[in-house]
This record gives sequence, structure tokens and C-alpha cells, in this order.
Amino acid sequence: MKQLILLGVLAFGLLASAADITWMSTQFTPIAEGEFVRNQILAPFAEETGISVDLLTAEYAEFTSRIEAEYEAGSGEIAVLCGLHGHLASFAYALADVSGVTPGGTINPTLMAKGQIGGKQVYIPLMQATYLMVLNKKALDYLPEGADIWALTYDDLLQWAKNIYEATGEQKLGIPAGPKSLLHRFIHGYLYPSFTGYQVLAFDSAAAVDMWNYMQELWQYVNPAAPTWDAMDTPLLSEEVWIAWDHTSRVKEAIVQRPNDFIAVPSPAGPAGRGFISVLAGLAIPKTSPDPEAAAKLIQYLTTPEVQVKILQGTGFFPAVAEAAGAVPAGALQILAKGVSAQAASPDAIVCFIPGGIPDEYKKIYKDTFYKFVIQGEPVDLEFLREQATRLRELYIEAGAPYPAPDGK
Amino acid sequence: MNQRLRNLLGTDTLLPYWLLLPTLIFIGVFFLMPLFEAIGLAFHGDAGFTLDYFKKMVSDVRFIDALKYTFLFAITIVPLQLITALAMALLLNTGFRGSRFFLYLFALPLGIADLAAGLIWLSIFTHHGFLNSILYNLGIIERPIHYLSYQNINFTFLSVVAAEHWRATAIVLVILVAGLQMISKDYLEAAEVLGARGWKKIWYVILPLLKPSLQSALIIRTIFALQTFAVVLALAGQITPVLAGEAYFWQFLYRDSHVASAYAVLLMVISIAMTWVYLRYLGSKTEVMRG
Repeated sequence: MKQLILLGVLAFGLLASAADITWMSTQFTPIAEGEFVRNQILAPFAEETGISVDLLTAEYAEFTSRIEAEYEAGSGEIAVLCGLHGHLASFAYALADVSGVTPGGTINPTLMAKGQIGGKQVYIPLMQATYLMVLNKKALDYLPEGADIWALTYDDLLQWAKNIYEATGEQKLGIPAGPKSLLHRFIHGYLYPSFTGYQVLAFDSAAAVDMWNYMQELWQYVNPAAPTWDAMDTPLLSEEVWIAWDHTSRVKEAIVQRPNDFIAVPSPAGPAGRGFISVLAGLAIPKTSPDPEAAAKLIQYLTTPEVQVKILQGTGFFPAVAEAAGAVPAGALQILAKGVSAQAASPDAIVCFIPGGIPDEYKKIYKDTFYKFVIQGEPVDLEFLREQATRLRELYIEAGAPYPAPDGK
Repeated sequence: MNQRLRNLLGTDTLLPYWLLLPTLIFIGVFFLMPLFEAIGLAFHGDAGFTLDYFKKMVSDVRFIDALKYTFLFAITIVPLQLITALAMALLLNTGFRGSRFFLYLFALPLGIADLAAGLIWLSIFTHHGFLNSILYNLGIIERPIHYLSYQNINFTFLSVVAAEHWRATAIVLVILVAGLQMISKDYLEAAEVLGARGWKKIWYVILPLLKPSLQSALIIRTIFALQTFAVVLALAGQITPVLAGEAYFWQFLYRDSHVASAYAVLLMVISIAMTWVYLRYLGSKTEVMRG
């Protein structure tokens, strides 16, 4: 019996040391996604290069403490990291310069520049997600004259929704405003930057007052069931709305089911520009990486167009590599990918990052303001905006967190 | 040692306490501990005792609305359910053929989770739901009506009341049926001998004897009504905020357990106050006997 146990322990030890490098990631945490990456992406890599990779998914808190511990110890087990921009940026000091690593495809220089922190290339962009507009082709008949769906403005959107309402008697514009919706992203990453140029700093500015007044007007043409919707795929499919804004993964299902009926286009632009959120995940090598060479090979492999397309198909994250955008198979994903790259390439883009390092109460501040001025329809009150703005800034100051782009350039 | 333990367990005085122990442990671990924890979280911050979380709760944009709708739901739903359940219980108690079948049928919604119940009603009232489909096909309406919207807040409110009424009346019914069955036939026969019939019998004999059951049913239903949340969430989304919902959002969306606990403590205080009112003003069994 004892021998058996000993054998087991030995075998386990052998298995555990079988992987050559460990890749820790805050992404791919859903079990299905993790399995997909292990079987469809890492297994071929091991065959190709002889380097086996152990994917270790972790929540942000665990990720943080592990990186800090290894950095302080001066040696570590983790060879490569994958995290969102905000996750990696906060550990710039513990990460090696990856400017010497050659990606497997061409990464757009503006995207690449996001990974440069304090003059150091902290990470190589891997994949991105965003929020955009999805249109039912039926809405195109009512498009205001001179408006271009690939470069809409918020004024176009208002006129468009109004045209549809006047012609059909129905409010065909959809914004997810339910309890579990991503409404806060629309407010802090789209409306605010487009109208004021900032997510946080101009919360109570004159431009913000104009913005809330605009929203009150737009709201007349938003489907009244919006406060019960958490995702826009269902209302798009049931045609309760023809024009909708939401996260790519929350509209994907509509396009997958009826790819011929929908178009994905960039979010509108306001007086300050076209504000949108870039959810950007990158690959980094810790200074304590036991095998930086193997890590660089993995990064190169993951940024080849073929692997980038695989990642899109398996996880719904969009490629960071230019060649991959054209290699996406026809159908729903291509429709979405086209909208995502058109939005990213907008000349008037104001790229926003999701706030990090502060309590989630910030979401409530944006949503509450929306609730009061838009859903309840109370007159826009500068005093209230000032109070909310003060609280919002306090959250950043108390946590010692930097303002996210575009505020904290 | 074993013998001593057996002696200890076996004594008549201690046995009841041993038997109560599992329940006490259960209540302690799953009810009292979280309760004190919540009170602690609501009043204790990084710098010790504080009322900041309550201030934050009260100054919350949605607080007044949440308080208003919580009470509105409770005072609409509870009396409505009590009357319906009483009518159903009296009917079932006549023991007509198949009354047991109806008892089970009426109790059926009890087995449905509240969120599921909310979703069932959502499929009726939603834009492309059953109600709109039926009305449209009958030619009564030209286009689907938005029942559940902030523009139609009264209907949204009533739909929540309807769903709750459908879902939770059975709990009151079951308590009242049990109460009715405990009323001794002697009282009813005596009443009939003295000439009390129909309404008179119900009003002067059955209802006073049913008071203890009514009291428990009211306490349970009111506390649950104050906690109504999943049905509201499913049907009304953000349109009609309620206290329990705000507590949930503070805990899981905004991740501030302190403010969430402040909401929980407020709900607890309201529940205790209501329970006290029922205990104080709805006489207990002994008073009924004396009366």
C-alpha cells in the first residue's frame, strides 16, 4: 500500500513538472473557455515547439498577490501573464520590457502604444472587446439625410430615432437600462467622453448639463421597456428595437441567429469626439520569469493571425492583429469584427479604459444620475451633478487610483 | 464516562434541551450569527463605530422610492392575500367533493421559486407576451402595449401585485386551513343551536377562534412582503426600486457590504415593528378564550 502511495506521489510530481512554463491569466476564467485555450491553442503549440504550457486562471485578487509575492521574492514560477490593461498597468514595475518580442502579426501602432507605460513596453496587446451599435437593416430606410452609419453622431441618432417614431409610431431605439445591464459603461465610456471629453473630470461641467438634456430628449424615442432589459440581443431579435447599443458579447447572439438582418457599426460621436471603451487584454513577462525565451515564443504564437481568429471563435474576444481582422470567417463574427475595427479606427476616437482600483460604487454614481435625470425625467440639476462629481472624485482619491483614459493621460 | 453521559442525557430535565440543541445550533449559525454580523457591518467602519453607512443609505437617490414602494407593495399585497386566502380556506373547509384536490392545486405555486414566478408573469406582460398576443389576435388592440414601463408605472405596480398574489397566497391559505381544522366542532354546533348561520357564524365564531392563525399568517406574510425582491426585479427592473433590491445591489453590484447591511438592518427594524404591532393589536389565544 505504502509503495502504491509513493508511486502515486511520484507520478503526480512528474505530471506537475511536465509543463515547461506556467501562464497565469485573469482572462479565460470560465471553465469552457479555459478548456478551449488548453486543447485548441496550447496543445498545438506544444506539438509545434515542444514547449508545454500550463494555463493557470486566476481572479484579479489572486493574480495581484501572486505577482507581488514573486516580485518581492526575486524569483518566480510564472513565465507569462495575461490580463486586462488596467491589471497589467498597475504592475509595470514588476514586468520586463517586451519591446524585444516580435508579435506573430502586425499590431496597430496606436494599440501597441497602449502597452507602453513610462517609456517601457509593458505588454503586447492580445485581444480586445468593446461596446457598439447594432442596426436592423429595416432602420436604414429612416436614416436622416447626410448621416453615415459608419460615422454617426449623437444628433444623427436622435433624428433617426425620431424619424422612425414619427413614421411607425414605435420607439425603436434600445439602450440596456435593466438592473444587471451595462448601462454604466454607456454613460461613463460613451456619453461622457463624447460630450465632455472626459469620464470623470467633467462630470459636472456645462457640457455635461447639455449631455443630460440631450439624453432627456433622446429618451422619448427609447423603447419604454429599456429599464427592464439587461442585454439587447433579445429585443433586437424580437424587433422591439431596430437600433441598439451594448457589449459585443451581449448582441452577438442576435447576429449569429440572423446575420443577414443586422449590421454592427461604431458608436456615435458627440461634440468632443467618438468616445468608446476599449477592453484590451495583453501579454506580459514578469521580471522573475523562469524562462523568458519560451515566454516570448508563446507570445509570438498567440499573436499569429490564425491563433487570433481561433481566440475570437472560442471566446468572443476580437483580434489585436491587423491580418486577423480580415481572416475572420464570414457570418456573424465578421459582421461584429467589422464594426469593432471601424470603431477602433475612427479618426475622432476618444479611447476610454474601464476604471480600475476603485470601489464599484462608481457604477452607481453614473447609473443614479441617469435614473434621476433620464428615467425619472427630473430637470437637470447642477447642484446634484456637483455632489455626485465630488463623491466620484473621492472614490479615486481615497483609493489612490489614477483616473482612467482619457482623463488620466 | 459513557455511563455518566447516559445519565446526563437521560435525565428528564435535560432531555428537552438536548432535543432542542440541533435547532438552536441551526438558528445560531444560520440566523443569529449573520444577523449580528450584519449589525456589525452596518455600524462599524475602519474607524470604529459610525453612522456613515446609514447616512449613505438615506442620501441614496433611490432610497425614498425604495422605501415608498416597499410599503406600497406590503400594504397592497398583504390584505389582498389575507382576504383571498380566507375565502379559499372557508370554501375548502366546507369539505365539498374534491376539496383536497383544490387544496393541493392552490398550494402549487408555493413550490415555484419567486424569480421563476416573476419570469412566468413577465412572459405574460412583456411586449411580445401572451396578453398582447391574445388581445392582438382578438382584434382588441392594434399594436402591442408596453405594460411594464416607467410610463405605465401603475400597471407595472399592479403586475407585481398580481404575481405576488398568485405566488404567495398559498402560504396564508395553508396556515388558515390548519387553523380552521383546529377549531372544535363543538363551538360551531353550539353556534348553530343558538341560531348563528352564514356570515354571523363566520364573523362571531370562526374569525375570533382563527385569530392566532391569522396572526401568524399576517406576521409571516408581512415580513416576506417587505422582502419582496425577485418578482419586482423580473417584472419591473429598475422602475420600482424596493429596499431588499437595493440591499442586493449594494452587496453584489457596488460591493459595499456596509451599506447593504444598513439596508438589511432597516428591513429588520421594520419587520420587528410590524410583528410587534400584530402581537399587540391582534389578541392572542388566551384573550379569545376569555372574550
